[in-house]
Amino acid sequence: MSSSKNYVVEVVGVSKSYISGGREVEVLKDISFEVGREFVSIIGPSGCGKSTLLRIIAGVEKPSGGRVVFNLNRKPIIGFVFQFPTLLPWMTVLDNVILPLIATGVEKSRAIEKARMTLKVVGLGGFEDFYPSELSGGMKQRVNIARALAIEPDVLLMDEPFSHLDPLTAESLRSEVLDIWLSSILPVKSIIMVTHNVEEAVIMSDKVIILSPRPARVLKIVDVNIPRPRSRKMPEVQEMVDKVYEYVS
Amino acid sequence: MNLNELTIELTISTSLSLGRMLAAYMLSLILAIVTGVAMARNKYVESILLPILDVLQSIPILGFFPAVLAVFITTLGPVAGGELSSIFLIITSLVWNMIFGVYSSIKSLDPSIDHLVAVYKLPLIHRFLYIYLPASKSPIAANSIISWAGGWFFLTSAEVISMGRVEYRLKGLGSFIIKAFEEGSTTAYTTGLLALFMVILVSYLIIWNPFTMKYTGTRTLLGFMKAYDVIDKALSKTWGFIVEKVVAAYNVVARVKIKSTHIIICSILPLLLYQYHTRLALDNSLYSKILEYGVDFLRVAPITLIRVYLVVVTGLAVSILLAYISHTRLKLGKMIVMSGEVLSSIPAMMWWPILLPLLKGFPQGIMMFVYLQGSLWYVFFNVLIFGISSLRESIIELSEIYNVKGRLYLSRIFIPSLLPSILAGGLSASGGAWNASIAAEYIMLGDLTVDMGGVGSLLNKQAEAGDILGVLSTSFFMSLVVVFINKTIWARILGKIRGYYVVE
Repeated sequence: MSSSKNYVVEVVGVSKSYISGGREVEVLKDISFEVGREFVSIIGPSGCGKSTLLRIIAGVEKPSGGRVVFNLNRKPIIGFVFQFPTLLPWMTVLDNVILPLIATGVEKSRAIEKARMTLKVVGLGGFEDFYPSELSGGMKQRVNIARALAIEPDVLLMDEPFSHLDPLTAESLRSEVLDIWLSSILPVKSIIMVTHNVEEAVIMSDKVIILSPRPARVLKIVDVNIPRPRSRKMPEVQEMVDKVYEYVS
Repeated sequence: MNLNELTIELTISTSLSLGRMLAAYMLSLILAIVTGVAMARNKYVESILLPILDVLQSIPILGFFPAVLAVFITTLGPVAGGELSSIFLIITSLVWNMIFGVYSSIKSLDPSIDHLVAVYKLPLIHRFLYIYLPASKSPIAANSIISWAGGWFFLTSAEVISMGRVEYRLKGLGSFIIKAFEEGSTTAYTTGLLALFMVILVSYLIIWNPFTMKYTGTRTLLGFMKAYDVIDKALSKTWGFIVEKVVAAYNVVARVKIKSTHIIICSILPLLLYQYHTRLALDNSLYSKILEYGVDFLRVAPITLIRVYLVVVTGLAVSILLAYISHTRLKLGKMIVMSGEVLSSIPAMMWWPILLPLLKGFPQGIMMFVYLQGSLWYVFFNVLIFGISSLRESIIELSEIYNVKGRLYLSRIFIPSLLPSILAGGLSASGGAWNASIAAEYIMLGDLTVDMGGVGSLLNKQAEAGDILGVLSTSFFMSLVVVFINKTIWARILGKIRGYYVVE
């Protein structure tokens, strides 16, 4: 039971059910796993409650049972990359990125400095004064990522971040996120990504957590010990993808 | 009065009226944003305020006015009390649609924004300044056009306030024109009207129209964008500065969480109602009296109901026709909307000299005119400004490619595209028509009285007889009918249409 300090996040016996139309619907059932200083993907059929789990980890939703523990000795800082960019249309790119910073009480000039830095990291240097309506889908998603990184999170949560982009944009954004993660220019300790794309999970993560259909349970946790950089053409990757597919289907 | 004196008098009167309008507008703005946001974000506030506002919007506030006036004037004296009463009356004519505009746009904010707010734990003040206020900008812009007209329309009633036998006159453009009319001074009357036209025209051309065009993207309006941009820039700068200071101050001050006040409201309201109820229950004769008023009401309600919906249908037909013309000829459309802005702003009183000759021979026509004046504009602005701009380029292109024209275009493309704004306008217009019945069905001008019967006429007669209980009961029954129709018919149609017509 004693928690090892190596883990950044521990999800302990989390369940979630809610009442819908007078009936109790069970979404998550006794979910437990640990996340160290690593990139973890959560994969499962659509509608199985992956996003709910992510929101519980973010502290936005309360679990019906179980708990989420952060071994940080302080309140965790959490970055969240939403499925859709969720940018406020009346604010410039820069203002969108500094909003969470200002909300946590960071002084404006300091907030702008951090925002500019992360915007540069995601390749949007020079677009600070643009409005969301002037950006492409891929660029909007970059702003979404920059906003999550600007608060210098301990844990970065990503909810199907590439699922609504065209394949080429998704591909390049994936490798950019990996580059940022691997270069450790930002103090992100762990990344937890929800996805339904098996190949994406295998290429990006150190560990893949496979959930069952609703009510979701942990079916299997697969360690991906494939050297980086990975590509979809590598036989180890192909093999791993097939292995994960077996559990998913 | 020589020309010099006239000019001075007119300038002072105009500034005073404009000041009143601005004060009322600013107060309405604050009221609309606070109430609209609170209703959209808090279920308790919503469940309490929404039905109350629904009623307030549709009942003739003028019926309750004597009571409010009495409170203001007896507590604050005729000067301050009169001034406040006047501003209060103007507010009652412009605030409702602003509240509903803010409410529905905050309510329909992308749910993912809530998610964002939760994940990054944005404090209330940040949410308000960075999300709710900016999101309110376009509904405020859109509704200001209608409200500003409503305010001017009520101006004369707001500057010449009668309380039983006593009449308070406030110095202003409205009372200036009335006085000139009564004294038969043609020069003063025409210059007064001219000044009124100028103020209305200028305020639309350099403020409201550009404001609306900028924040809603509508194109059917006339306006001087450059002049407005200067104002907009100055306001934005000042506002940005204020926001920054407020947020900085908030970050310095310890973040004390304030418990929401709705708990207090929730606990006080039933208590008050209970007390009121027990007091009424003691008095059996009161019940039977109210019942009598109810019977009186039922006797006249059908005729008013028919008139109200006749007016709404007429308003819809006129607006759709004008919308079609504006849609096919944008330049002409801009002129139509501009004329609408001026015509809708002209205070009721100003029409009389023109309409008086008609009153004796054709009273039905006059009644319908007053009805329309109080109702048509809601549909007109909704359809001509927002309806037309909601027509999608891609849909227009599609009909050009497939050669959809004429009646087919009107029935399959044009009207369905406009339907959401036609219905939204129709709903407000029916409220406006109920409200207008009080002015339309019982017209008193000098020694000439035209009584057309109906609920509005009944209310007038009760008010004249000083029958407060009668006024309250009739207004109450009328509110019941209005709310019933809104909830059963309008709400259902609107719900259905909204489901179908979300074009992505």
